[in-house]
Amino acid sequence: MSNGESINIKETLKVAVSGVRGVVGVSFTPQLAASFAQAFGTFVGVGPVVIGRDTRPTGLMIEQAVVAGLQSVGCTPILAGIAPTPTLLMLVPSLGARGGIAITASHNPGDWNALKFIGANGLFISESRAQELFDVYHQQDFPLVEETLIKKVRFEKYPTENHFKRILSYINPQAVKRRKLKVAIDCGNGVGALYSPIFLDAMLGCDIYPIFDTPSGRFEREPEPLPQHLGRLSQVVQENRCDIGFAQDPDGDRLAVVDDKGRPIGEDLTLALAVWQVLDKHERGTVCINVPTSKAVDVVAARYGCQVVRTRIGEINVAEAMLKNDAVVGGENIGGIMISKIHPCRDSFSGMAVILEMLAMRDQSVSEIIGSLPSFSIYRGKVAIRPELAPIIIRHIRHTHEPAKINMLDGLFVDLGKHSWVHIRRSNTESVMRITAEAESRESAKAIVDSYTKLTAEIIENNR
Amino acid sequence: MTLRLASFGMRGYVGDSLNPRDVMDYAAAFGTFTDGGRILLARDTRYSSPMLHAAVASSLISCGCEVLDMGICPTPMLQFSVQPYGASGGVSITGGHHGMGWNSLSLIGADGAFLEPVGGETVLDIFHAGDFLRKRSDNIGSVTEISGFDERYFETLATHIDAKAIKNANLTVMIDPLGGAGCPYITTFARQLGFNLIGVNDQPSGYLPREAEPRPRSALQMASFIRHVKGQVGFVLSSDMGRMSMVSESGEPTSEEYTFAIIADYVLSRSPGVVVTNSCTTRTIDDVVRRHNSRLVKTPVGQAYIVSALEDELGVLGGEGSGSAMLPAFNRGFDGFLMMGLVLEAMVVGGKPLSELLNALPRYHIIKRSVACGSRQGYGAIEHLKERLYEFGDVDGFDMTDGLRINWNDGWVHARASHTEQIVRVISESESRELAEKRVEMMLRLIGSVI
Repeated sequence: MSNGESINIKETLKVAVSGVRGVVGVSFTPQLAASFAQAFGTFVGVGPVVIGRDTRPTGLMIEQAVVAGLQSVGCTPILAGIAPTPTLLMLVPSLGARGGIAITASHNPGDWNALKFIGANGLFISESRAQELFDVYHQQDFPLVEETLIKKVRFEKYPTENHFKRILSYINPQAVKRRKLKVAIDCGNGVGALYSPIFLDAMLGCDIYPIFDTPSGRFEREPEPLPQHLGRLSQVVQENRCDIGFAQDPDGDRLAVVDDKGRPIGEDLTLALAVWQVLDKHERGTVCINVPTSKAVDVVAARYGCQVVRTRIGEINVAEAMLKNDAVVGGENIGGIMISKIHPCRDSFSGMAVILEMLAMRDQSVSEIIGSLPSFSIYRGKVAIRPELAPIIIRHIRHTHEPAKINMLDGLFVDLGKHSWVHIRRSNTESVMRITAEAESRESAKAIVDSYTKLTAEIIENNR
Repeated sequence: MTLRLASFGMRGYVGDSLNPRDVMDYAAAFGTFTDGGRILLARDTRYSSPMLHAAVASSLISCGCEVLDMGICPTPMLQFSVQPYGASGGVSITGGHHGMGWNSLSLIGADGAFLEPVGGETVLDIFHAGDFLRKRSDNIGSVTEISGFDERYFETLATHIDAKAIKNANLTVMIDPLGGAGCPYITTFARQLGFNLIGVNDQPSGYLPREAEPRPRSALQMASFIRHVKGQVGFVLSSDMGRMSMVSESGEPTSEEYTFAIIADYVLSRSPGVVVTNSCTTRTIDDVVRRHNSRLVKTPVGQAYIVSALEDELGVLGGEGSGSAMLPAFNRGFDGFLMMGLVLEAMVVGGKPLSELLNALPRYHIIKRSVACGSRQGYGAIEHLKERLYEFGDVDGFDMTDGLRINWNDGWVHARASHTEQIVRVISESESRELAEKRVEMMLRLIGSVI
């Protein structure tokens, strides 16, 4: 986090399909939030709109601005208060709302905040719809309603009720309860602090060891649940001999797992575990994952004869692919687990439930289950480039491969055979090409990244 | 074009000019002006008030303000509370005496009075520059709901009026707070002063069951049945409890001009001192003040001017013909509860019903009219009028404190462009109705010809 004196370019407002993000007090203001809420209300039309937020200290301030903005164009704000993003996505269709606004900067640092826009179908709005919304915003010509048409705010007192009911009717909660699993849960001072202990304890009968479980929004660990941020969780798992440790991001859509030995298994394997349990015990069908997801998922799917479809990065892209392909499960390589029958959205609670169910039914430890998979290793590298060279580099590398091995949905993805691939894309935040590869060992993954880094350097040299 | 920005507030028509976005900028300008200080926030019950409340709260928090939320609370109660709570100021969201669809933000300074012009202009400068204090996540402000402010208010009020005398009289009093911000408090008020309350339009609601401006026409409901319920006096108030007109025990809806006159007559009999009013208030006030050998100071129209003159002249009482009064020793704002208390005390101490108190006042015929016009036309018209004064023939003097007032020995006529509406207001007062009519028509004709 930078100091308040100099305005860093990275702190400027970002308006994208994933929402409107910025640093509060620098680029993201209540006025801006109110205007976007007016645009959203105009875009979805007069009717109920669900509003929820994560635990960030600026959440209430932004919520009040959004309320005023929505009321001014005749919408009925339904306040869910502090609630997980997946909960909000499910609430919108279950309440018959016109749409929803999630106030969360997700895994971004605590001084950020954002608005994320939810459509009536309970999915984040798609790219083309987002463009339409931004057009309405830029027009700044909102149909303000007269006083008698202003609607009162409504409150949703138990926002997660419907969400948790769906999860508990999908899995077998009795099987989990019987095992009385010892679970460490790192809520990251996010929405999980309000809901995860109750979910795991009262609903799934686990013996819980919660940490960072005050919903203060003052993040005592880095908000993104990456392996390197889970030291405290690992320690709790080891000290208490827990069966498993879970970590959530501030808005409760992403999940990370620490195994019974206290080792973070990585977000890719977290997803693979959930996919495995769904295909094994619940239903078989297509699996949708974003492009740079580990082939561990492919290996699991292959065991059940299920097809894997790789999609563009971004929750809405995976969700849309899931609907289109009638997929049963899917997700993103950041620990985003999506189960169609619960709701095609990233949901850490669904993830925890199916993984606990897996432990309960198999009578195996997390490390044993993972040990039965081939080993995978992902290596990430980057090369500094002038941004305008990115398409040239990608085009060039693309033509050195057979078309059948190429997926161009998001950057360039090349299937390199059995357990390996390489993914090359331009960063959205830095002037670099990100080169990521997966292979059976760290050395071979690094070797792949090195060879493509060299290739990229040559292309840059030839285009000087 | 319905938006009006003044140094002490912003007023507009909801769904048209009063966009939450502008309201937020205005609130942010005030938050910036107070350097992220402690701010009291109150609202009335208009349909749009909760929305504006959310907008203002959000904006003040972003400036780092510590917002103390009073919920539904009359403007004078907020004004009273600013100093006890050690606040840097207050924001009151109220439709006031305006009709359905209008709403406004009133800015209150650290002294509890409407923000004085110098400060108000700074707020406007910040608003126009859009250069707001913006706190980052760790330093944003907060909102805390507060309660108990009404108890403190009524306790202090009871020391400025003779509550015991009122209690002993066992009066039956009708109060019509317009379903506004006064609703939650009138029962406490009645208990404090020990009278039997008959409430009219006393449930909080954004719906306006009558005209919002307290005046005889808006008192008709109450006037029609006060005798049947044996009410001894009836009070008709605005949404913010800042203005009041009265109904006598005989069912006479009295002109709002006499609210201040009755109060002045009583207060001066108790403790003489300088009285401040505006330049278009009934000459009954001049007579009353003269009767008590006191001094009357006149100001332009508006609460902020009255307060400032009270400070300058060490005045004891201020008020306006629109039906408002304040005792600066109690509260630096026009205050409906105080006004009701003083009128009741005047009745009880004098041992007379309201009708007799009214009859004892020198009464004139007053006619109030208005001409619709654009804001620029309005101010222009007043300028042009000054060039055509000769058309009024023999007059006894002019007063240009605010707009134009023409005085005769037997009356006056006053024209001014409203600060808050797109109209020119004309008031004519004379010893005879015919004369008042004649002069108002003449003024209206002249304005018509210069617009």
